[in-house]
Amino acid sequence: MKLLDATKINDLAAALARAGYRVVAPIEDSGVVRLTEWTEGATIRTDVIGVNSAKDFLFPRSEVIGRWDLDGDDFSPRDVQPDAQKTVILAVRPCDAAALALLDTIFNWDYKDDFYNARRQAATIVPMACTAADEQCFCTSVGGAPDATANADAMLRSADGGATFILEPLTDKGNALLDAAGDAAREGEAAADPPAEVPQRFDVEAVTEWLSENFESDLWTTLSLGCLGCGACAYACPTCHCFDMQDEATRTESVRLKNWDSCGFGLFTLHAGGHNPRPDQTARWRNRVMHKFAYIPERFELLGCTGCGRCARLCGAGMSMSEVCRRIADESKKALAHES
Amino acid sequence: MDLDRLRQDAAAVLSDGRAKMVIGFRDRDGDRVPAFITDAEQAAELVFDETCLVNLAAYLKKIELKRFRPVALVARPHVCRSLVLLAAEAQIAAEDVIILAVGDQEYHGVMDLAGAAALLNEQYAEMPHEADLAKRLEEISGLTPEERSRFWTEQFAKCTRCYACRAACPMCYCTRCIVEKNVPQWISTAAARHGNYAWNVIRAFHLAGRCTECGACEAACPQGIPLMLLNASLARDVEDEFGVKAGYDAEAEPVIGSWSADDNEDFIR
Amino acid sequence: MTQTEANTTDSAETFEPRIVAFVCNWCTYAGADLAGTSRIEYPANVRIIKLPCTGRIDPLFILKAFEGGADAVLVSGCHPGDCHYTSGNYHARRRWTLFRNLLDLTGIDSRRLLFSWVSAAEGQKFADLIDDITGKVREAGPFGPTNPARRQPWT
Repeated sequence: MKLLDATKINDLAAALARAGYRVVAPIEDSGVVRLTEWTEGATIRTDVIGVNSAKDFLFPRSEVIGRWDLDGDDFSPRDVQPDAQKTVILAVRPCDAAALALLDTIFNWDYKDDFYNARRQAATIVPMACTAADEQCFCTSVGGAPDATANADAMLRSADGGATFILEPLTDKGNALLDAAGDAAREGEAAADPPAEVPQRFDVEAVTEWLSENFESDLWTTLSLGCLGCGACAYACPTCHCFDMQDEATRTESVRLKNWDSCGFGLFTLHAGGHNPRPDQTARWRNRVMHKFAYIPERFELLGCTGCGRCARLCGAGMSMSEVCRRIADESKKALAHES
Repeated sequence: MDLDRLRQDAAAVLSDGRAKMVIGFRDRDGDRVPAFITDAEQAAELVFDETCLVNLAAYLKKIELKRFRPVALVARPHVCRSLVLLAAEAQIAAEDVIILAVGDQEYHGVMDLAGAAALLNEQYAEMPHEADLAKRLEEISGLTPEERSRFWTEQFAKCTRCYACRAACPMCYCTRCIVEKNVPQWISTAAARHGNYAWNVIRAFHLAGRCTECGACEAACPQGIPLMLLNASLARDVEDEFGVKAGYDAEAEPVIGSWSADDNEDFIR
Repeated sequence: MTQTEANTTDSAETFEPRIVAFVCNWCTYAGADLAGTSRIEYPANVRIIKLPCTGRIDPLFILKAFEGGADAVLVSGCHPGDCHYTSGNYHARRRWTLFRNLLDLTGIDSRRLLFSWVSAAEGQKFADLIDDITGKVREAGPFGPTNPARRQPWT
């Protein structure tokens, strides 16, 4: 099998960059670990989950999807090519890779999104199996695992107590990656370190059960009280995919932008006439949870959440999808106990 | 800090009906997160320490919480200032809030808004910046304009326009924020240089004279942008130029909404 | 919505600053008009935008000018006490004090953002002011490269 010293991960990144990949990895800067473009000398952190997810590189925060040249009353479209730069997303968490199942589905459902697909096809996904987890992780409660290989082109696994990494190709893209790695990886044998323990936080079936019958429940207000309606969770979430279109023009040029949106914003369902069918955070949180654990599963047989826990870590107001699900599952069990 | 007394007081204001809800902090897996308590027994779970940076006054913006007024808030000095300022801006009435005032070292007890204002003026009239912030402000003022431009361009490049800073701020209560107005769209909604600069600078400016320097915005920012550098600098200017610190006087006129014939104009040609 | 694009050439010899001036109708605009009718020449680098009063000038206008590529922005109105709407300029003055410091902190300094009181009778003052500012901005160079508010080419 192919191995590399954990301390030599920058050499791997350098080799891949020389081979023409844009290398994206979790980089530490001023105490914050962020998945971003690697440059020589950057500090790659493979042992923690960063503030953002792999989604950023397949479905970026803002993207130009249309351009026109303007000349008085005349306008002419310009060709806009989706960004198809060969990219390796190195040392992401398996929960990020798991999320690709939903993004692949959503962006090819009723409309094939060329922009997403171009980036997706040009990307080689290399998750790093987790040997540590924190209180906010809950991949195992939503059908995932700290060493899951779903959507991985190659898999990094820690061995020898973290001193060595195993790099295992899983697809053709993974094999191409290994070829490109060249001397940065060596032949050898090692036993992978055990994956992190991620105890089950809640019974997701109990959640789905309760959701199917409790749209009007008062629990929604109780659950959502902490939320102040920003987009931090939706933006950090590897499965959230809503976007807003915005046109920006000057006298000579117009662009059409696709920007991330969040169902937590008050503006999300505000109608032009002033009515808002989701007028408060209670309704907006209910929508969020229902989407992830009811509507998406119903339509696509996939959960809309992979248990990465970023929402809880980043939420300035203490909201946590895991805690919300736990409380719903408890409520569901209480209701069942009542009935019987 | 006498947390037991805090908890007893919280239970008491609920039991005797002075408040319909207590908003404070609880522990969740080692983190301090906001707690919304409607039963006196739940008051036992209230905690408080220096990591409790969420400005609980921000919750007064929520429509769902209006029916729980009067609401009791566990308020540190900066949060007390926010409450006094919200009253000065006619966003809350004095009878809407009860304050469980926590200081830097001690719990001060239950009080109404007037009591909180008195406490602020007596014991918290000076709230110097913490050493690290003061040092960073000093450093920035020593840079050339080009260096400052580069610094902020790098910082704002991290901004994803999640508006967590706005959500966390009790003074950002506009039902339609400037960035949400699109006829015309003054501030670009793309996470690009011009939009990010405009958003962060305009938000800071809309808080000029209104920021109580609670630090909740910077604590809420998922990207670690040093927002307090902007807000603290502006608050210092307001104090130097107009002699005002936000949140000490429930009758105060808004700083930018008022003027004096003696206002500085030495920069005007 | 359309905006003005600035195409400042950046060669040292041929750099012509683009200066946007937000002025009030009753004083500075009239003053600029007087300069014109008096045949006092001043550089054509300035683009004048007329508002009813400096009190109407939202800091966002200033940012928009920098976003579109202005090398400098001038904001000018009636002297204190002379405001056509009594106190618009007093409100503006207070706003400007704070806003200019905030912009200075973030890299838009006083070479790029200027303020003045120019009355309807001060045609010469207006012309001299524009002349002086244009010269100083020409020396300071194009703002584009270090303008933190500048719209960048879309990629």
